[in-house]
Amino acid sequence: MRPLVRWALVAAAAVALVTFPYWSAPWESTRFATTLLRDALVLAIFALSLDLLVGRAGMPSLGHAAFFGAGAYAAGIAGQRLATDQLPITLGAAALVAALLALVIGVLVVRSEGIFFLMLTLALAQIVFAIAFQWTAVTGGSNGLSGVGRPMLATLDFSSPDLMYVLVAITFVAAAFLVWGLARSPYGRALIGVRENERRMRALGYDTARLRLSAFVLAGTIAGIAGALSAYSTRFVSAQDAGLGNSVRAFVTVLVGGAGTLGGPIAGSALVSVIERVVPSLLPVELRISEAILGLVFIAFVLFARQGMVGLGRQTWLRVRSR
Amino acid sequence: MSLELVFQQALNGLSFGALLFILASGLSLVFGMMDVVNLAHGAFYMLGAYVALSVVQLTGSFWLAMLAAPLALALLGLVLEPLLLRRLRGRHLDQVLVTIGASLVIVDVIGLLWGRDVRSLSAPPGLDGSVTLIGGVYPVYRLFVIAFGVALAVAMSVVYRRTKIGMLIRAGVGDAEMLGALGVNTNRLFASTFATGAALAGLAGVIAAPVFGVQPGMDTDPGLLYSLVVVVVGGLGTLSGAVAGSLLVGPADTFGKVLFQDVALAVIFAIVALVLLLKPTGLLGRIRVAR
Amino acid sequence: MGGFVKNDLAAKRGYTYRLTRRQFLVATSAATLAACAPGAVTPSASSSAAPGKAIKIGLLLPFSGVYAELGTSMRRATEFYLKQHDNKLANRPVTPVYADDANVTATGIAATQKFIDQDQVDVMMGVVPTPLAYGIRNAVHAAKLIFIDTNAGGNALTRDTTNCTPSCKSPYIFRASFSSYQISYPIGDYLSAKGTKEFFLAYANYGFGTESAADFTTGLKKNGGTTTGNVAPPLGNADFAPFVTQIKNQPTKNVYSFFSGADAIGFIKSWNSLGLPAAGYKMYGAGFLTEQDVLKEVKELANGAITSLFWAVELDNAENKKFVADFQKQYPLLPDVFTVQQYDGMRALDEALKALGGDTSDKDKFVKALEDVSFKSPRGDFAFDKATHNPIQDIYIREVKTQNGQTVNTISDKIAKVTDPGK
Repeated sequence: MRPLVRWALVAAAAVALVTFPYWSAPWESTRFATTLLRDALVLAIFALSLDLLVGRAGMPSLGHAAFFGAGAYAAGIAGQRLATDQLPITLGAAALVAALLALVIGVLVVRSEGIFFLMLTLALAQIVFAIAFQWTAVTGGSNGLSGVGRPMLATLDFSSPDLMYVLVAITFVAAAFLVWGLARSPYGRALIGVRENERRMRALGYDTARLRLSAFVLAGTIAGIAGALSAYSTRFVSAQDAGLGNSVRAFVTVLVGGAGTLGGPIAGSALVSVIERVVPSLLPVELRISEAILGLVFIAFVLFARQGMVGLGRQTWLRVRSR
Repeated sequence: MSLELVFQQALNGLSFGALLFILASGLSLVFGMMDVVNLAHGAFYMLGAYVALSVVQLTGSFWLAMLAAPLALALLGLVLEPLLLRRLRGRHLDQVLVTIGASLVIVDVIGLLWGRDVRSLSAPPGLDGSVTLIGGVYPVYRLFVIAFGVALAVAMSVVYRRTKIGMLIRAGVGDAEMLGALGVNTNRLFASTFATGAALAGLAGVIAAPVFGVQPGMDTDPGLLYSLVVVVVGGLGTLSGAVAGSLLVGPADTFGKVLFQDVALAVIFAIVALVLLLKPTGLLGRIRVAR
Repeated sequence: MGGFVKNDLAAKRGYTYRLTRRQFLVATSAATLAACAPGAVTPSASSSAAPGKAIKIGLLLPFSGVYAELGTSMRRATEFYLKQHDNKLANRPVTPVYADDANVTATGIAATQKFIDQDQVDVMMGVVPTPLAYGIRNAVHAAKLIFIDTNAGGNALTRDTTNCTPSCKSPYIFRASFSSYQISYPIGDYLSAKGTKEFFLAYANYGFGTESAADFTTGLKKNGGTTTGNVAPPLGNADFAPFVTQIKNQPTKNVYSFFSGADAIGFIKSWNSLGLPAAGYKMYGAGFLTEQDVLKEVKELANGAITSLFWAVELDNAENKKFVADFQKQYPLLPDVFTVQQYDGMRALDEALKALGGDTSDKDKFVKALEDVSFKSPRGDFAFDKATHNPIQDIYIREVKTQNGQTVNTISDKIAKVTDPGK
């Protein structure tokens, strides 16, 4: 496929995605699909940021929700304390707070590896969760932060379901583009180098600790923006947004979709969202087995399609093309 | 804090630590032998507790449950290892992922079979009384738990160091390929090790039930979270690591929660963070050669 | 496929190829989405011979996670009520739509949005955790969806607050359960008025626990009572021995405790095994400390605990006796307070619908009809406070006793017609 054609297709897909509420309006008057897709896209941004760590830099973090939560709280609290609803300020606050937190935590974890890195990120994230859960004066504590303001840009109010979706979709396209660009850049290749053979990278003169730290901070910042979008979507921040469950959810999404690929976190988010939101309503309510279904899907992917859905897709495409 | 209070809390910390050791021992064994962090360990622990519930309900005997639950979990382990883990031999991250999937399935199955009510198990008659110690009355069961923990640690140490199977395990930890080349059936060895790890988790489910209770969510908290904390803090994969980890985390968590009430939720994780930052491979951990 | 569509269908319908294709895609996606909507799949009873149009009730309950037991109980209550009333409320057959929040706030908020957008429910009920109630308050208010909260007891949900933080009341939100003030303040007032003035506090360190402890303390202070300290284990704490040991090593013997579910079971077991009753310590608390879900596990270990709640199985009024008897005939269980909360919510809805003649088209009339309901519930007289939409109810002082082989809460006194202050 010629590059120009491929670019045109991607651009068309992006435009279709961003304008979804408008062209789907005739058959989607209830806004349910819009809301579902919006939440899936927020998860996709979150998963894309985690994939930078897990897939590309080889840093398996189980504490990524700490930054998601920090961004969510920062956006909500900044809006309330600074009495503003302007997105540049609140999203900026979210990115800044998430980045700073990622810097602090990153400095502590960057020299760990493997299971120790996993546990250290988990432990530090749980400390963040505990602070969010207990610090009632600032975060609302266990009752959560309600009354998150409207996302506004000058006089444009994004709080309607359609515009909120557009805001999320545009951010998603931007994040995907950023990650795609990074993967192709020397920086991205250096990250992969660190993942594959850190010793050799160091021998080649790379400051591997700084590379990992920068990846950690970048990933944390993007996760913070995802968190802010989540806060604006539901107009509420729960301490659970920074909790272990949310970290595991993102981790599972990345792995099922295909770590280290661009399409992976996106496909994973779609699958996880469907299993979480759509499957339960198809089954009788006494039969709570959506976790088991997720688990079986997970096992199946690991055993038979290790590169996740994207890998499976690639294999199928290759097979089809060779006919 | 008065001296009496310190003594009582120290006993609480030790008995809590003993429970943590019993809980974490299986996870440590499986990691040490197979380099697999079995994230279904918490689900195994939970299943052991629920099996115990049924056994006690049917027969009234806590001791029978202490035999039945580990047996049931060993059987499950013997089925799961060849089914899920064997073909992923060498793909360590994948083995971890598949155990996450297994735990999700097991937990939902428990919900289907036993329901999702909050349940509990009482200490068996004979161990449900109290003795008078410094500072007043102390439950016999918690003293039993300390004794059991010590006995288990000693037994595991003896098996590990002085029996043939222990020798095989130590050899496998060092170099599984070589062991296979020497004619040992590594498939059988790994399956049995995994089954033993599961059995230990099931045993923990029974013994911890009178203290930690039996309820939805127990697979993660306390199950998996506390086992991971102990194993990683102590130093992965070694028996002495698991002992060191529980001896540190048990009392530290007990005193920490009471002294720093407002951050009680975070105390155990602060302990982990502190230890790993000071000693990145855990208290007694050594850098493992990449396989 | 393209060839067939283009020539045959296109020819029949006179569409262009492109339009037919889009129609096909639209149709299949719509069909897929429609298949996902339980509302579409559940046979609507409106076409049957029933007099009224079916009323859709969205029930947001936990069916997995630590509160699953409560969700099951409340679902049972819904089915029990419907069974007793021929599956109708007033003249309208009921289509219940259940959703599982799994004790994850984000899931519950999404489920609520689905109730509003896709299922288009007429009424919403349920919600166990207070953070979830706070989280959905604005969405429910904006959608003008009548929501009858049948558990979450956070005070703010039925009060005027500054900046609506952490939440605030809404004309469309009613509560058929309680406010945590109602189960904590009156017993503080009662005990201190009777002469027991000094208390030590033990409570789970989260919103509900801290709120209950604070309201109890306010009640104490009204009659010159004081608190001498506290232990506050984290929510979901595994080992209660360290905290109970702290209680045992301080002099105040009267301990007001707020725990529920698994925490309550762990606390009461530790309390006994560490010998607190023999050492003269007395356990007081809000009713959830010794509700059926706890008593069935700890049994006589809870004997002597004095708690306050708006109901008990042993409550001796005609309505309750009939309720408990009928419930036991239907299920091999005793009803619990969560059953009563949901049951009363259904009853309130039923009474309001009767007053409206089944016509829920006018939201303001619907609200007024709910405000005006008044009936005899298993808990006594039931009515909503018109100012707050919180129930006006009697609060009973109960003591745990084992009688006839069953451990139950026996009623020892009553504080009549307690209202929530509303701010």
